[in-house]
Amino acid sequence: MNRIFWAIVGKELLAFIRSWQLVLVVLYSFTVNVYISGSGIEMKPRNVAVGYVDDTGGGLSQKILTRLHAPEFLPPQRFGSQKELSRAIFDKEIIVGIVFDADFEKKWRQGQKTQINILLDATAASQAYTTLGYLQNIIFDITSPDIPVEIASHKLFNQNADNHTFMALTELLSIITMITVILTAVVFVREKEQGTWDIMLLMPVDPKLIILAKSFSQVLIVMVGIVISLGFIVMGIFSVPFNGSFVAFALLSFFYVWASAGIGLFIAAVARDIMQVAQLSIVVMMPLIFLSGAWTPIHAMHPVLQTISLVSPLRYYIEGTESIFYRGSGWIDLFPYFTGVIAVGGLMYWIGFRKIGRLF
Amino acid sequence: MKIRVIKAYIYKELTELVRSRFIIMVFLLPSMILLLFGNGIRMEVSGARTLIVDHDRSPISYRLISKFEHSKYFNTQILPISEAEALGRIKQARTDVVIIIPESFEKRLLHGQTTQIGVFADAAFPSRGITMETYVKGVILDAASEFGHNQANGSITINQRTLFNQAMRDEDAIVPGLIGLVLLVAPAILAALLIVKEKERGTIFNFYASPLSKSEFLAAKLIPAFLLHSLNIFVVFLWAVYVFDVPFRGSFFLYWAASEIYLMISISIGMLISVITRTQIVAVVFTIIITIIPGFMYSGIIMPISSMSGMSQIEAHIFPVMYYNHIVYDVFLIGEGLESAKTLRYLLILLFYAIVLLSLGRLFLRKELK
Repeated sequence: MNRIFWAIVGKELLAFIRSWQLVLVVLYSFTVNVYISGSGIEMKPRNVAVGYVDDTGGGLSQKILTRLHAPEFLPPQRFGSQKELSRAIFDKEIIVGIVFDADFEKKWRQGQKTQINILLDATAASQAYTTLGYLQNIIFDITSPDIPVEIASHKLFNQNADNHTFMALTELLSIITMITVILTAVVFVREKEQGTWDIMLLMPVDPKLIILAKSFSQVLIVMVGIVISLGFIVMGIFSVPFNGSFVAFALLSFFYVWASAGIGLFIAAVARDIMQVAQLSIVVMMPLIFLSGAWTPIHAMHPVLQTISLVSPLRYYIEGTESIFYRGSGWIDLFPYFTGVIAVGGLMYWIGFRKIGRLF
Repeated sequence: MKIRVIKAYIYKELTELVRSRFIIMVFLLPSMILLLFGNGIRMEVSGARTLIVDHDRSPISYRLISKFEHSKYFNTQILPISEAEALGRIKQARTDVVIIIPESFEKRLLHGQTTQIGVFADAAFPSRGITMETYVKGVILDAASEFGHNQANGSITINQRTLFNQAMRDEDAIVPGLIGLVLLVAPAILAALLIVKEKERGTIFNFYASPLSKSEFLAAKLIPAFLLHSLNIFVVFLWAVYVFDVPFRGSFFLYWAASEIYLMISISIGMLISVITRTQIVAVVFTIIITIIPGFMYSGIIMPISSMSGMSQIEAHIFPVMYYNHIVYDVFLIGEGLESAKTLRYLLILLFYAIVLLSLGRLFLRKELK
């Protein structure tokens, strides 16, 4: 029994290594790809291009502008007229435009109401929002310094709200899902396509054992990928904080990869050739990754989507991983995530055994 | 040119697409991505689960709290629990923001002594953490300036005008960008499978032995994919305008022309992958990875290109998505069209990309055994 299991695992691993292109692509996904997505995206305002028109002749307006400094803002650019400023915004060279009217400072000194006109390029919505907040803050600071309220704000779990680490980690989790699902599905469908699957089932070996051994080989490949990615990219280059237990993460990953392999098995049971695996896995995976909260937190979604997201094992995995990495939650708090991942995985294997594990 | 042979080849390709049911995918995938992502991605934070711990219970603190209660950005809850318990709730991801108003808040404020409001935001999802923090600060500052507005100097209000997207709708900001993603990923996946499929099954030898030239073979392979996906240009447009209510301010012709060129680029990317790889599985995985990630990142959906720094700025300029998306955002939200020199330049860059990629594919395709 044991010998057969390991023989199948060995055979699959050999087949994987022989296809050097596949090895390269998988390696690329786990390393360079994670690196690129981690290094590229920055969600907090950074290098926001500010342009301004100043007809007041300095003073208060300059005092406000000097507060817009690096790294959040590029040095403000001066424009001759509001028209030139709008042109630059239309060409997306400037995101925030500030217009000081000629009597801006005079009115303020005289104790009248005055206003700053701000043009925002709303196609960059999140930057626009946050920049507005910054400006509000600056103006409040300058104009009414004698209100004795301080806001002591703390961003928990990720003090600098560093997006690199977050994106790198989420990307890794999405890649794990994708690679596992496709690899596992292909391992089965290739045999189906060549007709050797029926022969496998005819052998005097329990089909469940064959299925488990085949999935296990792919789980192994992905686990190696996770270790490489975690060691060299996520912890190595981005130095993502690790506040929780490493064993918990390894175990959660292991169960999760099994659950994804289960989804692959399900796809393999339905698909007849690799073309169909490609379509099905994309059609299944896109919602899966999307509904997991990797791009948008779950509770900010439409209520219907929130309910659907309960069946996405990636949801539990991402929440669990976030908790382990950032929040450093204990084992008891992690319990729901383990349950979720195992439940979805178990269901997938149950369907898989019934659909693909029988000849007739 | 052997028009008849090419015609026969195109007919064969179409039949195969229908038989393998891949045709469903051609039309399902773009719409699915657009609908899911368009409905789901939210940059704006609304209804953040906010927990206020009020140790003061004075008129002023109530006034502050009511400010939060009246904001659509917060979903407030006031509980008489301790600070530690409140923080425990964040740790279990049961609340997003905790605001703590200290004891004798009002008294100190009226005496002009410094007092501190504690704000804790969950930044495990960083962009959301920052946005929530900014909102909270905004509300508190707003309340504070109302409280102390009788001063010597005048008050300054911010008169903001948001261009292109007055209501700051997330749909307007995201859906046009998604079109760029969708028209990149779906055609690339289709094209990536076309040639490698024949290689894996061995039917590529028919082509080796046939009198068809390399360009004719490519034309026969790519034209069906191109025509089918050309329909998608209109489909995604309809979704965007009628389902997501994104305004369309530019010229439809520009949108259509730019999209067709862009389609040529994405199909060529898929074809290049198909020419290089040896098995379908490698082709699929590779295509997904090199299209989805840059398609998202350099599209300007999440982050404007002008805010990128260093390497990512260069990478964004190498990848064609950025140029197309500039045009798409222009035709949907801005409407300047070809009057803007930048749009015209970007259109020409796209054309250049299409030609280069197509010629590369022809260069790498082999018509004999290695």
